[in-house]
Amino acid sequence: MPLEVALTGGLRAAGLFPPPLGIDTRDKIGQTSAVVALGGLRTLVASFLNLRWLTFFSERRWDDVHATFNTIVDLAPRTVYYWETGAWNQVYNAAAYYQYDSQLPPLRRSEAWRASVLRGREFLERGIRNNPGDPQLNEYLGFVLTDRHKFQAFRDPDATFAAAAAAYGIAADSGKALPKVRRFQLYALARVPGREAEALVLARSLYQNPGNRTPTLQCVCFALEVHASPGVVEPHALALSIFGSAAEARESLARYWLRVGERFPVHGVATALHALEEDLGIPPDKSIFHQAPTPPPDDE
Amino acid sequence: MNHSPANAERSHPGSHGGRILVIALHAFTQLVRMRVFYFLAVFAVIAIGSNFFDLPQHAGPETAGVNVLHAIKSWSLGTMTLFSVVLAIVATALLLPKDVEDRTLYTILAKPVPRLDYLAGKLLGVLLLLVVSLALMDLLLAAVLQIRTSILLGQLMDIANARGWALDEVASQRAELLTHGPNWSLQGAVVAVFLRAAIMAALALLISTFSSSTLFTSITSFLVYFAGHFQADARGVLLDSGAGGHGPVARVTGMLVALVLPDFQLFNVIDAVIEGQAMPLILLGQLAAAGLFYVVFYTLASWYIFAEKEF
Repeated sequence: MPLEVALTGGLRAAGLFPPPLGIDTRDKIGQTSAVVALGGLRTLVASFLNLRWLTFFSERRWDDVHATFNTIVDLAPRTVYYWETGAWNQVYNAAAYYQYDSQLPPLRRSEAWRASVLRGREFLERGIRNNPGDPQLNEYLGFVLTDRHKFQAFRDPDATFAAAAAAYGIAADSGKALPKVRRFQLYALARVPGREAEALVLARSLYQNPGNRTPTLQCVCFALEVHASPGVVEPHALALSIFGSAAEARESLARYWLRVGERFPVHGVATALHALEEDLGIPPDKSIFHQAPTPPPDDE
Repeated sequence: MNHSPANAERSHPGSHGGRILVIALHAFTQLVRMRVFYFLAVFAVIAIGSNFFDLPQHAGPETAGVNVLHAIKSWSLGTMTLFSVVLAIVATALLLPKDVEDRTLYTILAKPVPRLDYLAGKLLGVLLLLVVSLALMDLLLAAVLQIRTSILLGQLMDIANARGWALDEVASQRAELLTHGPNWSLQGAVVAVFLRAAIMAALALLISTFSSSTLFTSITSFLVYFAGHFQADARGVLLDSGAGGHGPVARVTGMLVALVLPDFQLFNVIDAVIEGQAMPLILLGQLAAAGLFYVVFYTLASWYIFAEKEF
């Protein structure tokens, strides 16, 4: 019918027309559920399956959890929650299980951990392809790619941080994300070698707003400014101007210095810390350079 | 006696609307007496119960709880679809055989009541039942969603105050949350549920005019319902298939298939609404026009068959 054809086009353009249900999905959900799903109750079947993964989750059957989420997202590809939860299960729950709780030998554990993280990333990226520009999924991808416990799984850290910056950028540009997402974009971008100038422009722009002046942003700003003008900018004076006081500067930069594993830029940080510790009269045995790096608390 | 549609109306004085309304109200009362509204208790349990499906998730506090709103909509609209389609088919399939069994049909047709008025009245009675049922379910769904959304909004404001979010940030997060709460798109989805059920009622009416039993009408209607979800795919395959696929015969066949089997996938817009998509009013209007077309077409086809039927 011409009206139906026109209506189908309109619904498709408005993103209201569901994609056809694949034959493999029909097989996976069984005949009864397939009939129910084809009878216009796809999201209801997805909701049923969403209860099923919890059983697999509690039994630590991670392959079944993944398979269930693959089916769920075939049924309801625009529900962001399913994509996020499916990825979260692989990147965090399954990966942590393989790393700490499984009976596998150490080498196999590491392999299984990495495979699980990669599987979660791939699932999340498929979610983004199905929901282009979605801020929540892009923010979550950025989070996974910059997680200090996970990014080693991706082997090429430079490309990983660049991908994270791009994902955070999409989320922030949507206008639906919180301001912290733009800061996270900066943190990812600052860690990509060769893009420091681009990161500095963003850092300066964020620094204009006092609400953005978190310790991490101030430290990243400091490192990028020193990198931009080596030998011109004096680290000690710059630290005092950014942080306001020697004590504040020493505290923030010291914590930043200890986050070595996160690959943040540290241009001028050591020089500034030496000068600040001298200013504050900190004895050499209490110097930050004598402390073992420990993970600091997160800040936004 | 010739009851053909062409001359069936001649000797029936009075208002069509009045007659249809009387028959519709009678059919509605008849169905209400069958205690069909008991299913609302089941719906209430589902709508309220879906509040407790708060599954583990990783989301930050600002988005936590949105999945519960999604679950409430999914379970409730799914149940509404199921109930409304079953109700539309079974109630319509029951009406004509029951009137024959009670001999009410003979009494009515012995009076100056055109057969079209009788059929339209019966259908309207079922549609009235669907409207009332869906309105009650919609009311309950909106209330449950509203309460839950208010709770989540309160939590969001607490987080916003604690973290000192700017006003525009609060407004953006609030607007995002409200897309999952009770809104006009959700009402559009309920209208889509009604339209699908209305088409099924009209189709069941058509089948019951030549069917010999309620069971046959119900089974055939359900089969057509499921086949209707494949209609667009099947038509696409027919039109795109090799030789003759684009010829006039294929096109006419495709049109006939579309006429007999409505494309029910069009009404699956409810899935997108559950997932938080907005439903433009113009598309809802087009959907209503498509639904109305099928209801009118099936009713006229029913009249054509019923007018010739001897009792």
